Amino acid sequence: MASSQGSYLARPQPSGLAEVIDIILDKGLVIDAYVRVSLIGIEILTIDARIVIASVDTYLRFAEAVNRLDLEAKSDSKGLPELMEDVTSGGSKSKTQGAIEGVKEKVQEATGSGDDDDDDGKQKTRSRSRSSSRSGSRSGSRSRTKDDE
Amino acid sequence: MSGDEHSLYVYGAVRASELPDLDVTGVGGESAALKTIARAEVAAVVSEVEDGPLSAARDLRAHWRVLEEVASRTTVVPVRFGTVVAGEEALIRDFLDPEGERLAALLAELRGKVQLNVKCFYDEERLLTEVVSGSPGVARLRERVQGLPEAAGYYDRIRLGELVSAEIEQRRERDGALVLDRLAPLAVAAKNDAPGTTDMAVNAAFLVESARVDEFSSQVAKLTDELGSRMRVRYVGPMPAYSFADAEVAAGSPAWA
Repeated sequence: MASSQGSYLARPQPSGLAEVIDIILDKGLVIDAYVRVSLIGIEILTIDARIVIASVDTYLRFAEAVNRLDLEAKSDSKGLPELMEDVTSGGSKSKTQGAIEGVKEKVQEATGSGDDDDDDGKQKTRSRSRSSSRSGSRSGSRSRTKDDE
Repeated sequence: MSGDEHSLYVYGAVRASELPDLDVTGVGGESAALKTIARAEVAAVVSEVEDGPLSAARDLRAHWRVLEEVASRTTVVPVRFGTVVAGEEALIRDFLDPEGERLAALLAELRGKVQLNVKCFYDEERLLTEVVSGSPGVARLRERVQGLPEAAGYYDRIRLGELVSAEIEQRRERDGALVLDRLAPLAVAAKNDAPGTTDMAVNAAFLVESARVDEFSSQVAKLTDELGSRMRVRYVGPMPAYSFADAEVAAGSPAWA
């Protein structure tokens, strides 16, 4: 993702499904009398969309993260490319993130917003979805990993 | 559920006088033909659906596509994903009849407007560095925790994380107020939802008149420059008014004021 230049944001990005999936799952008119049908593969996504920020898991993760900080270094020493590397390198990923990405990619393929039908999502996941899965995984995966096994 | 009547999947409500002609596949696969069922001023966009679970990949997409399509033709009140009703009779009895007036008012309210979303994300490392250097309490506890073996420091680490979390929450409130302050004046309505992820600073939805989208966009661009490298901005839309399809809007109460 190009860092946000004014020109880059002169227009909103068209709302691809991957961009609005949290909105679709969480918003819209609710009518009490209605049945919400269950959905295969949705549990992960809904939890991803509703990460509990005030949780012990989150606190421990923050504690770990501030402990790792190298305060001698400049605050902006770690740029976006490195962060992305963190995300894409398999080692730092949890199973859950894989699952989330799996669904997102499937959705992306299904919407035709993906580049082709190639299964190998890691390579082609464009920056915008990568950034969204980054944010998703950072929190989502943490809180999931344990009860997921 | 009666045997000869199909359940109906409900996508949204439109004005009965502006029924869209729809050529997209609905939820449940190829056979899911879309239709509208009208009652007085309002019609529901629905398709027949078999009982049983939906598939995330296929049916989320179908729901989204249908609403995009409908919204490109007329004003729509989106209904929450996964909403199914027993059949036409139930649809009229439980939805169109009791909700008709409210829906008509909401449709009038949403007419000529689109939803635009602005999400801002912190660079977490930078954010945490600011938190540690800006809060002596956090810095002290951090040093203490670093000197302890993992098991011994368990509760201290939770406490540390909690402090950090509270600091972030303060920044989030400040930044949310800043973004709303800059953008809400150009919108008819604005909402800042709870963050979906821990690095999300702002998760705002705006209802904007179609004629003012360009103006809104240049304001977003200005804001993005102002935020600089402190936050990453994702600006998405236009989309149907998912976030404004609720009772407050219909009642005309200024929930966003």
